[in-house]
Amino acid sequence: MTAARVQLSGIVKRHGAVTALAGIDLEIQAGEFFSLLGPSGSGKTTTLRILAGLEAADAGTVHVNGEDVTLLEPGARDVAMVFQSYALYPHMTVGENIAFPLRMSGVAPQEISRSVKEAAEKVRIAHLLERKPGQLSGGQQQRCALARAIVRKPALFLLDEPLSNLDAKLRIETRVELKRLQRALNVTAVYVTHDQEEALSLSDRLAVFMDGRIVQMGTPEEVFSRPATVAVAGFLGNPPMNLLPARLDEGVAKVESFSFPVPTLKHLGTKDVVLGIRPSGVRLSQDGLPATVAMSEALGEEFYADVAVGELLVRARVKERPAERAQVRLQLDEAGLHVFDRASGLRL
Amino acid sequence: MKLRHAVLLAVAVLMMLVWTFPVLWGLLTSLKTERDVLAYPPTVIFEPTAGNYRDVLFGATSILPNLVSSVIVSGLTTVLTMLFAIPAAYALSRLDLPFKRASGFYVLATQMLPPVGLVIPYFLLLRRIGWTDTYQGLVLVYLTFALPFAIWLLVSYFEEIPREMEEAALLDRAGRWRALWHVILPQARGGIAVTLIFVFLNSWNEFLFAVVLGGNTVRTVTVAMFNFISLEQTQWARLAAAAMVGMAPVIALGLIAQRHIVKGLTVGAVKGGARR
Amino acid sequence: MRGERRFALALFLPALLLLLVTTTLPLVYLLWTSVQRVDLSMPWLSGFAGLENYAKLGGDRRFWSSLWLTFVYTGTTVALQVVVGLGLALLVMQVRLGQGLLRVAAILPIVLAPVVAGLFWRSLVLAPDFGILDFATRALGLGSFNWLGDPQLALVSVIAIHTWQWTPFAFLVLLASLAALPPDIYEAARLDRAGPWQRFWHITLPLLRPAIVIVVILRMVTALSAFAAIFAATGGGPGSATEILNLYAYRLSFTELNLGYGAAVATVLLFLTLAVSFGLFVFRKTR
Repeated sequence: MTAARVQLSGIVKRHGAVTALAGIDLEIQAGEFFSLLGPSGSGKTTTLRILAGLEAADAGTVHVNGEDVTLLEPGARDVAMVFQSYALYPHMTVGENIAFPLRMSGVAPQEISRSVKEAAEKVRIAHLLERKPGQLSGGQQQRCALARAIVRKPALFLLDEPLSNLDAKLRIETRVELKRLQRALNVTAVYVTHDQEEALSLSDRLAVFMDGRIVQMGTPEEVFSRPATVAVAGFLGNPPMNLLPARLDEGVAKVESFSFPVPTLKHLGTKDVVLGIRPSGVRLSQDGLPATVAMSEALGEEFYADVAVGELLVRARVKERPAERAQVRLQLDEAGLHVFDRASGLRL
Repeated sequence: MKLRHAVLLAVAVLMMLVWTFPVLWGLLTSLKTERDVLAYPPTVIFEPTAGNYRDVLFGATSILPNLVSSVIVSGLTTVLTMLFAIPAAYALSRLDLPFKRASGFYVLATQMLPPVGLVIPYFLLLRRIGWTDTYQGLVLVYLTFALPFAIWLLVSYFEEIPREMEEAALLDRAGRWRALWHVILPQARGGIAVTLIFVFLNSWNEFLFAVVLGGNTVRTVTVAMFNFISLEQTQWARLAAAAMVGMAPVIALGLIAQRHIVKGLTVGAVKGGARR
Repeated sequence: MRGERRFALALFLPALLLLLVTTTLPLVYLLWTSVQRVDLSMPWLSGFAGLENYAKLGGDRRFWSSLWLTFVYTGTTVALQVVVGLGLALLVMQVRLGQGLLRVAAILPIVLAPVVAGLFWRSLVLAPDFGILDFATRALGLGSFNWLGDPQLALVSVIAIHTWQWTPFAFLVLLASLAALPPDIYEAARLDRAGPWQRFWHITLPLLRPAIVIVVILRMVTALSAFAAIFAATGGGPGSATEILNLYAYRLSFTELNLGYGAAVATVLLFLTLAVSFGLFVFRKTR
């Protein structure tokens, strides 16, 4: 088995008058852990289902290892999938569930029982083979679904929000394990999630979906540090980036009625923009934008302060808790500034 | 508060009596001699006799042949119905069937047809091909109500199975047929059993088709019971015994399927067929 | 996907073809028969009759009376079933004790063959001299009634039989719907100071509306095709006092052997039923 290389070109999907996918182009390298990240309804799950062959695209092609599989039935593609609901067959035992794809592929019985044991051991449920899915905990069900997906050693491994039904602690444990499993099996994984933390921590690369389009693609570092649009900037990061409408004029930025110099942006001339800055890039200091502390919340070692600059609320990450209603001044870290065109939302 | 509760309870008990009375009274009557039946005022204390049951089972007017007829007609109808209804219901509930909405409405409409509108053409048509008073003729007619009913009831059960089940099976390389056989049907077992029971029950209780299109060869138990009253006037005790024997199977089936009866009765009205 | 469509057709077509052959074809033949002269007692007269049978309906007093009886029978039985069924369901909701037992009792009439229901009532309940109802009225000093022999009482009787047999249906469906209503809205309504009647009018009834509509439509369809119970209890009589369209079409076709005319009456009933079922379609669509 070799890991698969996947290529989606020009995928369009319509549900009646609604366009779910408006032209998706995507290339996933062999052995990569690739995430499709986006808010619900952005088209990421539809993309995964088209890749699996569970839904037909209205236009565009799907290639796996250079072979056109657009019209192939799901079973004819070398893919396995872990569903959000796990989709375990309730009338079969765990062992029968894991064995099912092998039975359907006509594998010899001795070979099946050997492979089932092996897969079950990999996800540490070998002691549960006789149970029915209904008798398992959520985490165990999830492992059973994983085992059923890996047992026939697919070239492509699809995961549809597989961790969303687990509690917080288990989710983080399983996340680590998923990555380990993917590396150990040397399989290409495509992972759908709306949880940016999952996507950023797991992926080799990821694609950010919004309104049926891919708005940005790259490594987690690239996407996080250089969001391509205002929308991506507002979606990524927890808490999200501050977005301040501003007017640039020859190296001077004007936010609300306050102006401050930004020499590094002089080359942009005069323009309406949106300035993005993460809370860690906002400092409370002696001079800068005048502001009022509206509220603050404790984070453990540090604090978030929500400060009002005119009508705008800006969040700052600070070491000491400011008093509410205190008059302060803000400094924006120039290196941490992201500048987006106000009209198009694109990064400048 | 106490009084109100007592009144409520009394009404409930009264209702229970009203609903069970004819059957319970029928049971009592079936154990009486004809003389006791006619006693005035009606008695509840009498010497029970098994004579009526002996008569209706083994006497000159035995209903055993009628029971056999009913079993054959209802059994064949049930088997045939399920054979056609299960695949159709699956396609209607879960697959990308062309003209799905229209097809669903068509099936539903056929379920609503008045039987008297069918019995007239069937009488003429079956006579022409010599199928009156035959099992194949009656079973064919019984399909007219059994098949649409079964399809709709099964649709509602298939729709309860999560859609991911087929998708997982397809990805597991089962293919459509084996996904249906290994994954969907086992999960629909309960619904299939309930449908089976209802189809059998409806076929067993049918009267109009049986009385018009049956005859001396195929005379179902419902027709036989009716004949008790028209031929041997006022043999009420025997009639009651015959009714007890004839209704025992459906009462038993009804009790088995008790918890599913609401669903079976509102079939087609609730939802289905229009999704996806 | 293409494969799925082909698979779906392969599964659905056999049943569809069977339904076409067993239901739709005979209906076409029914329509054809209704424009024919088919009188088995005078077979030499058979032939195409055009709209003659339908024209005859206009002047047929027995037809109009049976159409009227159909409306009366359907209207009263359905109204009684819904009112009594809903009342009982509301009542039983408050009695936790013995609910299960009542549910079991309720299915007894439903599973009984209508012909048996008719026979039981005819003999055990309504028969003069030894029927239990006759005993009751006599014991109460009201005297003896000829329940099935008097035209007015016979109609009341067949309505009572149908209501007895099918009220449990309305009861069970409405009870299930009532049990499925979320209890917290009642608690909210109480906090909003709604009294029991206001809760019934403004919460229970609107929420039950879909279930009630379903019950009404399905019960109407059943009432329109009611046959066996009336046939067993009165045979449509005395005279034609309980002869609803079903019974009339049957008697015309199989007693008087005038199948052409019977087919015309059955066609009227068919369209009546289709109109009611159309109500169900509209209802399904709006949800």
